[in-house]
Amino acid sequence: MTNEADCSQSQAIENEIADLEQRLRAAKARLGHPPSEAITASTPPIELPHHDTLKPTATHFLFLLSDSALPLGSFAFSSGLESYLAHSRPNSSFPSFLTYSLSSYASTTLPFVLAAHRNPEKLAELDDTLDASIMCTVGRRASVAQGRALLSIWERSFSGAVSARPERSEAISQLKEFALLLRNAASTTSGELPAASAHLGPLFGAIAFIVGLERQETAYVFMLSHVKALLSAAVRASMFGPYHAQKVLASVEVQEGIRDVIQREWNTKVEDAGQSVPVMDLWIGRHEMLYSRIFNS
Amino acid sequence: MISPFPPSSSRPGNGSLTAHLLPHSISALSKITFQYPLKLISPSPSANQKSVLVFLLTYGGGLVGGDQVHLNIDVKPKARLSIVTQGHTKVFKSTSRDIVTRQRLDVSIEMGAALCLLPDPVQPFEGSVYEQVQKFTLADGASVCLLDWVSAGRTARGEDWDFHAWSGRNELWTASAKGEAGRMLVRDNVFLDGNLGSEKERLLKHRMQNMSICGTLILNGPLMESLAVFFISEFSGLPRIGARDFRSQANVDIDSERKISRQESWRRDRLQLEKDAGLLWSAAKVRGCTVIKFGARTVEGARIWIGSMLKEEGSISEHFGEEATLCVR
Repeated sequence: MTNEADCSQSQAIENEIADLEQRLRAAKARLGHPPSEAITASTPPIELPHHDTLKPTATHFLFLLSDSALPLGSFAFSSGLESYLAHSRPNSSFPSFLTYSLSSYASTTLPFVLAAHRNPEKLAELDDTLDASIMCTVGRRASVAQGRALLSIWERSFSGAVSARPERSEAISQLKEFALLLRNAASTTSGELPAASAHLGPLFGAIAFIVGLERQETAYVFMLSHVKALLSAAVRASMFGPYHAQKVLASVEVQEGIRDVIQREWNTKVEDAGQSVPVMDLWIGRHEMLYSRIFNS
Repeated sequence: MISPFPPSSSRPGNGSLTAHLLPHSISALSKITFQYPLKLISPSPSANQKSVLVFLLTYGGGLVGGDQVHLNIDVKPKARLSIVTQGHTKVFKSTSRDIVTRQRLDVSIEMGAALCLLPDPVQPFEGSVYEQVQKFTLADGASVCLLDWVSAGRTARGEDWDFHAWSGRNELWTASAKGEAGRMLVRDNVFLDGNLGSEKERLLKHRMQNMSICGTLILNGPLMESLAVFFISEFSGLPRIGARDFRSQANVDIDSERKISRQESWRRDRLQLEKDAGLLWSAAKVRGCTVIKFGARTVEGARIWIGSMLKEEGSISEHFGEEATLCVR
């Protein structure tokens, strides 16, 4: 009985579909299009794929961390670009500088980002080691300023939104401890060795781990943000306009460049992080010598 | 047949050096051992020497691909040691990329002692693979002056950063005391990896931006205090890049007739040298150490520049004697 009713109902629907398709064909014919095969085949409704509870959060935070509106203050730093321009005029070339900068930033800092993502409990140790490895005042200032901003973003904005899953809670408490260590270090400026400095690299790795980013995503976002900061600096230094900047950002060269350096540094131990473009240290270190400056580094 | 002698503790390329303080504040060596290819020479001591001088040499004047040199140095409390070389440390070609020529230096500088390490630059030849690790452990009141520089190779033969790989690592640690582990003060790693591809930017010589030499000078400790201050103040006194001379012609004439002090004229000459040699440098305080990075278009320019800086300030010669600066003058 119910079977029969179902049958007649589906028959009615099929009739309706045939009717609609007939009308579609007629309408297409009027437009001059031949009837297409794809349209005639009935398409099943697309369902929103179902995720587990963690992944959407991770994607959400991936977008937040890659957003140029993330208040790290990166726009205040040119990572040596401004100084490079002053030193190499009139033969400056942005593509060359971008290649050097990517290589240098990856070889000095990326191993620390990856290490903090692998072992977020070693955050304080990694921070101290990175502090000993940065050879110039200007670079150190840039790294610390952005690192502290990221820590503030975590404390004030992100921490409430991340559910403490058991495998992350350890890292979260480590981060809390680190923030405390930093505050104490600031109040007791004893001697020359700081207890904590809050460099960007290790903090980025640890926070990316806590919000659930994959290691590869973390490395990619970190390097991409660096490229974005350089491009934004280049636009403000009037090297080229915003459309050209987007063109460079979207280019295959930048994509491959980032992928190459990540691959190169994927297994680099933090002890083996170091400068691969020595002149970069000179450019960044001599930024203070510029007569006029629009950036902090 | 079993040898009746105890096994030799001496290994190829290994060496050991201990400097200590004799009465009347004379530094002397209490131990000096070395094995081929490493060679150490110390001139016979004189009564008025300020530090004990040691030449760090290799047989044949260079390191052949695959040579491993490992030198341990211990500077006992209050002793002073200077180490120099006799010409560039040449690194010859390796037959393959996997054969690494290594030089390792482990230095312990005890209370109030001091080490001055001002060698000639390392000169890696085309196709060489070189790795250098220098670790300095400093006790309270210990001082160190260390120079590490590398050149583009045999430029007269057209070499221009044509080696396979060069890596230099300098670490300064505080000595562990009362059960506390030592802490790292500075780690200066430089990795010059030969050509990473065929593109222009990936060639090492392009990455080196026309420099023929680049190096690092690291200073730490009470004896280096005045030299460190000197470098920092000279650095911050450099003319601004991109500054313009807004003086009128009349004022320029007046200023050019003004008598300048000896120091000012030295500074003017030095700035001219920096310009001529294309020398760029920066100085920074890093966790209690002073790190000076420099690069220049000519090896000679860099040598004269650093020699001139050390001589003008004068404390290296005063604390270690003239011989300590043998390689940079």
